[in-house]
Amino acid sequence: MTAIIQAQALSKWFGEVVAVNNLDLTIEENIVGLLGPNGAGKSTFIKLALGLYKPSRGTVRVLGSEPRNNLAVLRRIGYCPETDDFFENATGFEFVYYLNLYWGMGARQARVAAQQACELTRMTERMHDPIETYSKGMRQRIKIAQALAACPELLFLDEPMNGLDPRGRDEMYALIQTLAKAGMTVVVSSHILYEIERITDSVALMFKGSLLAQGRVRDIRNLIDAHPHAIRVQTNAPRQAAAPFIALPAVTSVDFDESGFVMRTRDANACYDMLNDMMARGTNSINAIECADDSLQSVFDYLTR
Amino acid sequence: MSTASEHPENSMAATNSDNGGAHTNVTVVGREPVALESAVRRPLPDWLKPGNQPGRGGYAASMLASCRHALVTLTRRKRLALAAFIAFLPVLIPLALAFLSTSRFAESGNEVFVRLVEELHINVFAPLLALFFAGMLVAEDIETRTMPYILTRPIPRSAWVAGRFCAFMIVAATILLTSAALTFAAASIHANLTLTNVVDLSLLLHYFGVMIAALLAYGGVAVFLGAFTKRPIVYGVILLYGWQSLATQIPGLVDFFTIKKYTDALLPVMATQRHVAEIQTALGTFQREVFQVSAIRAMVALLLITTISLTATILAVSRREYAADRTAGS
Repeated sequence: MTAIIQAQALSKWFGEVVAVNNLDLTIEENIVGLLGPNGAGKSTFIKLALGLYKPSRGTVRVLGSEPRNNLAVLRRIGYCPETDDFFENATGFEFVYYLNLYWGMGARQARVAAQQACELTRMTERMHDPIETYSKGMRQRIKIAQALAACPELLFLDEPMNGLDPRGRDEMYALIQTLAKAGMTVVVSSHILYEIERITDSVALMFKGSLLAQGRVRDIRNLIDAHPHAIRVQTNAPRQAAAPFIALPAVTSVDFDESGFVMRTRDANACYDMLNDMMARGTNSINAIECADDSLQSVFDYLTR
Repeated sequence: MSTASEHPENSMAATNSDNGGAHTNVTVVGREPVALESAVRRPLPDWLKPGNQPGRGGYAASMLASCRHALVTLTRRKRLALAAFIAFLPVLIPLALAFLSTSRFAESGNEVFVRLVEELHINVFAPLLALFFAGMLVAEDIETRTMPYILTRPIPRSAWVAGRFCAFMIVAATILLTSAALTFAAASIHANLTLTNVVDLSLLLHYFGVMIAALLAYGGVAVFLGAFTKRPIVYGVILLYGWQSLATQIPGLVDFFTIKKYTDALLPVMATQRHVAEIQTALGTFQREVFQVSAIRAMVALLLITTISLTATILAVSRREYAADRTAGS
């Protein structure tokens, strides 16, 4: 399969801050998820691939060529940025329309394409309203509309689920998959594993500007499962409540504090089952249970430890 | 791909993506079942099929697109009304002189018009409009962080800059020339200036030409400041008002490094001859040797300033990294 994006020893730094560090990454799939916690370098990598940044070192080739100021490459790319920035005083329709003109469309074609893109993203009703009156989800949809309006071959979506309601998210998952089936390559960045998991099986894990792993979601899940999960239990009788867990071989440590205890376990499901039983029996006054490892950051902490 | 059975929280995703479009009814407590699949999965419209990308628009079309967009943006600015209001104030001066002056001698309409156009329109309003509009042509997209949208479009950077500059020229020239024409009409109520006199009208047209040349040069410098600095208006005020005033006071050839030197050289001869080569200060009056520049050389110099400024702007837009959030990992 031909590489759609190929980064070799790619680095980008801003002053003393290294945003992307010696990254070797090849993207060949229809949909690839760029996964990593905030500050992992996902957005910087996307901007390098779009030619918005010049690599400090190394190379990045997109659709076979270097992207920076390369109009032939840019003609084939769509981009939905993470930030909510728009032309001042513009309506959603105008925003898409003027960006369509910049894509080389004539006025009439740009108008039709803007209407179609707004329809696709369910913005037709509000497209003539000023963007400043839009909700976060509507802003997200209008950004996606401008990215899709010229039917790009390669689509970069930087945190596209931000601000979308559940229905919007479902639509976005379905849209991305439909676009990929039609032959479009979609690169989606997110810091939420669950979001990426719903779209694609192929992910690239980034952490502190470097590629940590690339492959199937299942492999990453297995990798994560091999590491202890932290579960925080809030209870008035921590020692009594923790006793049955200490006996479990899967539990590697238990730390007590004023409000309860935190246990680390290699079998989170078994621990949750036991906690459910304890609460159902009412043997211990458990006030709350929370997964201290819910954020991707802690998963990456495990993987990089 | 992970299956729903492996990850129960993903059951919806598995249903949506793996069942090949079959309808799934989801019941929400207290509501009618919703055909979620039909709402979510819609067929891809024909226009979004591969190969439907727009054709290349060409350089002129790219420039026109940039110009149209900038025109709409400029005309929606509140500062447009402010700039127009300030620029139209000189129209009131000849009228005020006619109705409020207590002088026993009749004012010369010609002289009133020439002084107003030279001192206000060319030396004050042209740089002001350049700072108001040209200075923000690129700077605004940097400030509002919309540059990534533009820089990821297949539009030649030079066409984008040139289109924006054309929009500035259309807006600024419309304001300035209209104001000058109205000032001319207002001044014609005085003696020595008539609306139908060919010589007077040619004087007006001459000043139109000087104003356009001034807008080109001031606009070029201002657009460059906008692309290259974070505070184009501050630097613009320092450069176009502070430096230009200072340079014309310093003996020697320093004034050659101002735009005013060349716009002055384009003024009608009669007007140019009125310029005194004396500097009056609190310490006394100093004489200063003024090196004149021919009109043709002045025009070439102004066009050079414009071309160099716009070229530098295009280079800045092509080479600088304007993408927002230049911090690591953002």
